[in-house]
Amino acid sequence: MKMKLGDDLHEVKIIARRPHLVVSIDGRHHTIDDPGRECDGPGTLVLDGAAVSFARVSSGGSVLLHLDGRAIAVEVIDPLDEAEGSGHGRDEILAPMPGAVVQVHKAAGAAVTRGEAVLTIESMKLQTTLVAPRAGTLLAVLKGAGDTFEKDEVVARLAPVEGDQ
Amino acid sequence: MRAIRSMIDTGSADFRRHAAHNRELVARFRERQEAARHNRPQRDLDRLERQGKMRPRERIEKLLDPGTPFLELSSLAANMAYDGDAPSASSITGIGVVSGREVVIRADDPTVKGGAWYPLTTKKIVRALDIAMENRLPVVHLCDSAGGFLQLQSQVFPDKYMAGRIFRNQSLLSRQGVKQLALVFGHCTAGGAYIPGLSDYSVIVRGTGAVFLGGPPLVKAATGEEVTVEELGGADMHTSVSGTCDYPAASEDQAIHMGREIVAQWDRAPKWACQRETPEPPLYDPQEIYGIVPDDIKKQFDMREIIARIVDGSRFHEYQPAYGTTLICGYANIWGFKVGILANNGVLFNDSSLKGAHFIELCNQNNTPLVFLQNITGYMIGREYERRGITKDGAKMIMAQSCSRVPKFTVMCNGSFGAGNYGMCGRAFDSRFLFTWPNHQIGVMGGDQAANTLAEVKANQLRRDGADVDAAVLERVWEDTRAAYQEQLSAYYSTSEIWDDGIIDPLDTRNALGIAISASLNAPLGDPGYGVFRF
Repeated sequence: MKMKLGDDLHEVKIIARRPHLVVSIDGRHHTIDDPGRECDGPGTLVLDGAAVSFARVSSGGSVLLHLDGRAIAVEVIDPLDEAEGSGHGRDEILAPMPGAVVQVHKAAGAAVTRGEAVLTIESMKLQTTLVAPRAGTLLAVLKGAGDTFEKDEVVARLAPVEGDQ
Repeated sequence: MRAIRSMIDTGSADFRRHAAHNRELVARFRERQEAARHNRPQRDLDRLERQGKMRPRERIEKLLDPGTPFLELSSLAANMAYDGDAPSASSITGIGVVSGREVVIRADDPTVKGGAWYPLTTKKIVRALDIAMENRLPVVHLCDSAGGFLQLQSQVFPDKYMAGRIFRNQSLLSRQGVKQLALVFGHCTAGGAYIPGLSDYSVIVRGTGAVFLGGPPLVKAATGEEVTVEELGGADMHTSVSGTCDYPAASEDQAIHMGREIVAQWDRAPKWACQRETPEPPLYDPQEIYGIVPDDIKKQFDMREIIARIVDGSRFHEYQPAYGTTLICGYANIWGFKVGILANNGVLFNDSSLKGAHFIELCNQNNTPLVFLQNITGYMIGREYERRGITKDGAKMIMAQSCSRVPKFTVMCNGSFGAGNYGMCGRAFDSRFLFTWPNHQIGVMGGDQAANTLAEVKANQLRRDGADVDAAVLERVWEDTRAAYQEQLSAYYSTSEIWDDGIIDPLDTRNALGIAISASLNAPLGDPGYGVFRF
């Protein structure tokens, strides 16, 4: 699991949960006794035998920790987001259902941001906008207005990210 | 549980256009709702004042516990019927808290034709009592009705789900051990007399309250006997001679006070233990719903964005996120209550139908109430899908859904077309509550498709009759057909006919569901029929 403290990214792994919680932070093992409850407010945990006091506030999607007189924003990088492959391997835009293209928003060669509209299709009385799965450059838009396609057919392709295998 | 990460750009032109469109829809809805609640002919209000009576909404306000919410149901019932003569179907129903107990409140509205029951009035009352039965909620009746609306008696009186059903439901409620109290402020004539008659407790106001099977004019016509209202069915006669009513009250205020005291005596059956967490507001601002729902029923939107603005902390545990992706399934909390949500993100395919059926079974196994968020144009059609058994797979979803033992709730967030309405727990499938957004449309097919079909039929008729059907004629036929069909697709028509429990402002969805879920937990869960089939 990856965790961001302020601007710094750390790799955190749980090595053991019993008899003591042992975590590896950036490759170094630490033992935590009495990790307390996961809730807002002041708390204490015992890290490698030394007591550490902190205060925790969750606001919006992030957590703020107050520690040693400093406030630190903590963000946990969701492993499921990583599994979705936010940077690599999602080069194709697939048709979610059979239908026809209503409008082409971006041509081949255009730069797109994640979530930006590429094509609008219509199927079963429903217009759906197909968006870029990630930021990048459009390598090809394979269907024009009025063209039909089958479910799961590739309708547009992003240029592969450099260094992607 | 992970929070949904919104992809919405709240600064985009689309967002702003949608927000303006939906705010306009909600403003128009509020206007119509205010009019239905308060606009009455002055002479009716004057008459009420002369009689020393409160308006029905004042009675309800005095009955409810201070600071508690009242979930009014079907406030725009009959808004498109009877030339608008029966606002709210001349009846007020809702869920509220009286002496610390969740109850159904059902009030006649004497400011509309003396509180006479129109056909849709009886439908609304029967529905309120169905809600009481399904959720085991006690009922407080606020009686003040002239009786059935005679001009339309054939639609009020004889059939299975008409007036008789009210009294049948009252009887079955009592057998279930669900209490009923009648506060008699005005007349309870003919069938209406059975409302206090079949209630477990009744209070009657001296001077204005009266209960009789036939009023003085009918008695005179039938037997020649001349008798006053007080002698025939007044408070003192019924509480000291006939025993039809239990407590006399000197005023409406006193009757309401007495009513609250009576409700305070009732036992409270324990609710079943739905899994609960500490409630917290959604992470994302629910106001953003206005900018997410498009200004055209044909345009698709990501229902996750709606879920993120309804559920606690915007947290959602999505089940099978990569399978059957046109139906979103997953667990979330609403006002702390654990629910299983099924939301449409496109047409239902074979895999999405199977996923839905499976998830419904998981929720039944887990004692988790189900929330259906509808935006559905139907199950996928075409040769390929029929060959894969789309009908068979849709049938599994309908079977799992229909036979659920956990409470179900439905919100019509946008379109509800074709058989998708069935799988997603439409009105016929006994949702404990079904709410509708003002942008909602419902029909066996969309407006354009219906207009195409119907206009073609009509043009052929005209041609057979020897008429010259040119493009202009066709266009007019199409427009007329579409306009007529479109009116019946609208949320206002739907709510007028009581195909729902009321239109709500999308912002109120979370609160309405919270009250509804809490109310539903009063009824015990049935036994599970099967384990979980993995289809």
